[in-house]
Amino acid sequence: MKQIFIDVSDDGEVRIETKGFSGKDCIEESQFVKDLLGNEIARALVPAFYMRNKEKVKRHIPLCG
Amino acid sequence: MSHISKIELEIKDLDALKNACKRLGFHFMTNQKQYTWYGKWISQEPLPIGITEDELGFCTHCIHVPQAVFEIGVVRKDNKYTLLWDSWVGGGLQMYIGKDAGILKQAYAIESVKKTAKLKGFRMTEKKMDKKVRISLCIS
Repeated sequence: MKQIFIDVSDDGEVRIETKGFSGKDCIEESQFVKDLLGNEIARALVPAFYMRNKEKVKRHIPLCG
Repeated sequence: MSHISKIELEIKDLDALKNACKRLGFHFMTNQKQYTWYGKWISQEPLPIGITEDELGFCTHCIHVPQAVFEIGVVRKDNKYTLLWDSWVGGGLQMYIGKDAGILKQAYAIESVKKTAKLKGFRMTEKKMDKKVRISLCIS
């Protein structure tokens, strides 16, 4: 199930979390909430962001030596 | 979970602001061009962005909080709205709108999301948690 959580603190701060999306869908599908409430000032990607059709994309970091 | 974003809240939807006032028991005074405040800027804090000292006390609409002496000015600037109010304790606003009008902004955000969720046909739940409200939208 795709879900968007919007936390609004008592001091007016807004934080958005997406759940159940894979890949970049979360960015596109939650954009309307961001446009509605204001400007996105920070974004953190979590592991599911790097999943394509539930398949994990491994990233290899080149190491010296 | 896929990503987490932090949003700087902007007030763009006047209907949502009116509904936020209704939710909090405040009165939205359409087209009231002045709001009650101390009448002189004596704070050391900077003025809100885009607002000059001469503009204080004047507004596009006004919000009246029944228990408070002072009022909140709603000023239209570049297709969005800025809230102006005097936070002096004797004016009585702080207790009802919170620090930086956080409680009013919170109610605005909820009403704004509620309206759009209804239009888009998303299921929405609202839950009061410690020092915040969590809105959940089910997309599918």
